[in-house]
Amino acid sequence: MNISLDTEQLRVLNWRASTKDIAAVVGPPGCGKTTVGSGLAIKMIAEDIAKRVLLVAYTNAAANEFCRELCNILGPDVARILCLRTGNPTGIDPLIPIPFSRSANEIHEKRIIISTNLSLKRLPALMRFDNMIIDEAGIERLEHLLWPLWFGVDSAKAQQYKNRHLNNYNSPDIETPDSFQINDLIELISQCGTVATVVGDPKQSRPISPVRVDYSAIEWVKNRSSCDTLRISHRLPDRLSGLVNEFADYDGLRSASEVASRRLTLERLPEKEYRAIIQPDEVTTWIDINGNERPFGPTSWMNNLEAKASAKVCNHLASITKKSILVITRFTAQKQIIRHYLQKMGHPEFKVTTTTGALGTQADIVIFSLVRNNLERNVGAAGTLQDLNVAISRSKEKLFVLGNFDMMLNGWSGVASNGKHYYKSPVRKLARLIDMKYGKVVDAPEILCR
Amino acid sequence: MSNLIVRDLYKTMTHTKTHLVQSKEIATTCVCPYLFKMSYPFGVVGGERDYLVANTVHDVISLASTTTILDNWQQGKTDTDFENIAKSIDTDSEGIIEESIANAKEKARMEGKTPVLGTFDYEVQDRFHGLMLGLAKRVMKKYERPKRAVTEITITNVKQVQEGRLDAIFEFEDGKYGMIDWKTNNINKASGSGIDRWQLITNLLLANYRYTGDENNWDKCLFGSVVYYEGAYFPRLPLSEDWIDKIKNDRKFAHEILCGERPHAQKPAFCPVCDRNGESSFDCRFYREDSKRASQGDLPENYANIRRLLVKRRYLVLDERAETHKHKFVIDTIIDRLGETTALQELERTGIVHCGYKIHSVNANSITLVKTFDNEDEMTPTLLEPRKIVRIIGIEKDIPLLACVNEKGFVKEVQDTKLVVDLDGNTIAQCARIQLFDLPIIIIPDEINLTRRVLEPMHRFHRLAADIMLPSDMFLDGNQNEYLS
Repeated sequence: MNISLDTEQLRVLNWRASTKDIAAVVGPPGCGKTTVGSGLAIKMIAEDIAKRVLLVAYTNAAANEFCRELCNILGPDVARILCLRTGNPTGIDPLIPIPFSRSANEIHEKRIIISTNLSLKRLPALMRFDNMIIDEAGIERLEHLLWPLWFGVDSAKAQQYKNRHLNNYNSPDIETPDSFQINDLIELISQCGTVATVVGDPKQSRPISPVRVDYSAIEWVKNRSSCDTLRISHRLPDRLSGLVNEFADYDGLRSASEVASRRLTLERLPEKEYRAIIQPDEVTTWIDINGNERPFGPTSWMNNLEAKASAKVCNHLASITKKSILVITRFTAQKQIIRHYLQKMGHPEFKVTTTTGALGTQADIVIFSLVRNNLERNVGAAGTLQDLNVAISRSKEKLFVLGNFDMMLNGWSGVASNGKHYYKSPVRKLARLIDMKYGKVVDAPEILCR
Repeated sequence: MSNLIVRDLYKTMTHTKTHLVQSKEIATTCVCPYLFKMSYPFGVVGGERDYLVANTVHDVISLASTTTILDNWQQGKTDTDFENIAKSIDTDSEGIIEESIANAKEKARMEGKTPVLGTFDYEVQDRFHGLMLGLAKRVMKKYERPKRAVTEITITNVKQVQEGRLDAIFEFEDGKYGMIDWKTNNINKASGSGIDRWQLITNLLLANYRYTGDENNWDKCLFGSVVYYEGAYFPRLPLSEDWIDKIKNDRKFAHEILCGERPHAQKPAFCPVCDRNGESSFDCRFYREDSKRASQGDLPENYANIRRLLVKRRYLVLDERAETHKHKFVIDTIIDRLGETTALQELERTGIVHCGYKIHSVNANSITLVKTFDNEDEMTPTLLEPRKIVRIIGIEKDIPLLACVNEKGFVKEVQDTKLVVDLDGNTIAQCARIQLFDLPIIIIPDEINLTRRVLEPMHRFHRLAADIMLPSDMFLDGNQNEYLS
């Protein structure tokens, strides 16, 4: 087996392997949620703690990541024997050696099953798993969390629980132990035998319903069950982990020693016009640029000058380094226009994504376009903590933020119901932290303003 | 009108106003209001019946309607000729049948379904023949050959909050139409009772809207028929006012339920599900009793807490379903304000719809569309991107936009002028090619409605909670421990 875990990952692994309940594991950016999930599944099978384990992720990309990690740890031959991928065949990476099947018999024969949340509805209702590991990233409905939990319900345990509960119901004079007071769904599911570990991060996840609910699925589990938090990031260098820690209030997120001092390395010096912004020793650079926002579509926004500037920075970086580059923005329209400019510059290979799509990805260099710029200083949806946190925590070496610094430093994100008070946007805190402590704010050079 | 006004319209349309009731849901409500509530909001999903034969026959008829059925249509024949007409259609449709069977087998294999039985080919051919016999005997006999057939068309009547997918409409020379609903899922005799009749009439209201712009205008309606195996059901026109009123009332009921209101539901004197102990009857009885006791405050507190959470979540999911229809409401409102031509220009400028496409080619289940730009240097971002769901609409003259021929699909590839859309199977792609090929195309955003499956875990946990936390004598239901077994 090929696995190396830090002390916190080991602690979580041992805790979850020895406890039979539903619990949350909070994993800030780069803390190895996928590694812990895969390692936990293997540990439980290897030590015969569970006969069959279900690994669930919301997207096919994340499910593929679980598969890759299982192959890394077990080796392809053992992974082929123990594991099976089910769900929708179109989303599967064909290079992963883990076999695919939808047949109930084949699923029954394997020990570790990997699936997406949405594909679980295809499994027979009576199929059961001893243990479940659920990657919460991307879940936007409570129901997507409830589906996997259903497959852990043990009818014998449920029947035992019912008998205990009804004895209690029929003898109201007897003092009721706390565990018999079910007033919560997680408690009920847990008492019915479901054992699950939900891994995620409330500070990166979106609310479980865009309508009228503002908490995420992991928050829901966290508030109702036991929880542990990982705090060593294997992705973010020291200055960036400091920024993310303070921005999202992680209470102690730090870089692993092997990545703490990592800085951007270039094969050539940047051109003169770009030297002020591409400074390898500075991990975070805010490029202060004053482009105009423009509404597009039902809810989207675009900023042409920022899009052009993002593409130009990408283009120049491509000429001086072979590092991976990722462009992130909150808005689909901006994503499309940046992609268009990159294609025109001959770089269709660069990934441009929205903050939603960026969850679970990483790159050496990240360029983050904020888009919004208006006289009212309304940051709107661009300024939510989750979106900003995802965007600033994808980078392994260098983060560029493009946006109007003054606007963001004074931005607000909504108006109170009385119409008089404005809610301060979290982007204010980000701007202040980069300016004062963790990065540098640089005026956009002339070449980016044309 | 500026972009911000279009966006304001999106903001001001609260979710409660953007629900659409599907024709099938209205028909279910007509049979029993509780049956509708089983699906929404409760999320009871019916058994895993295998509709492979029915779906394949449906595919065959969709393609045959526009080709071999029209070619072999003969009016006023005697009884002895009907078998020959059906046989001629069978013979001419051999290629379509073979291809549809092959596609169905391949799809079943890809989806890991149970192996297709050896009698599958025969069953498809036999059921198709039976339906053609029914068509010849009852429909062709009475009506002249239509000039055009439109198949598998989704019509949205936003003002009446109704949407439905119609199997086939035959258009005649005098501007009249006849609508047909194929019963492909069994070989039962023709029947004018139950859900089939209600679904037919509900869809006729949509067809009226397509041809006259008003669901109450029956001037263009020549006939509506449910074609069964070797028979057909024709309601007599003009339809009974009572029937139409019932459909409208039940549509209102279903809409109110979706909006989270609590209209009074009354079980009919006879419900074909509960009174025959059919599928879902246990669940129906359970929820009727559960709701009654909850409103009386007669449930243990710990169970009531979980129940409250699950009921609340269900309505949040329904709110999301309403969100998926918002585009259609906005498009309809702006067309009302500005007229169709100006509205479409404005909606395209603001990135809501995408005009100017033409179908270029069809390959397996993909359709390729191309767009001509007036000014190629002008960069307009598009919100079309891979995996987005879109509705491809072929604009027809004098027909409301959301009632024109259309097809739904997933965007597969977007380039500057080229758009590739994956449709749900080869048959749908072939139908789209036939029906949309010569028409100017516009593309609007659409979404898949997965609500029932999304609601299902709430139903399962609701029943589990009841099974565990309620005393056995609380509900008079012998199946109470279903979820503990």
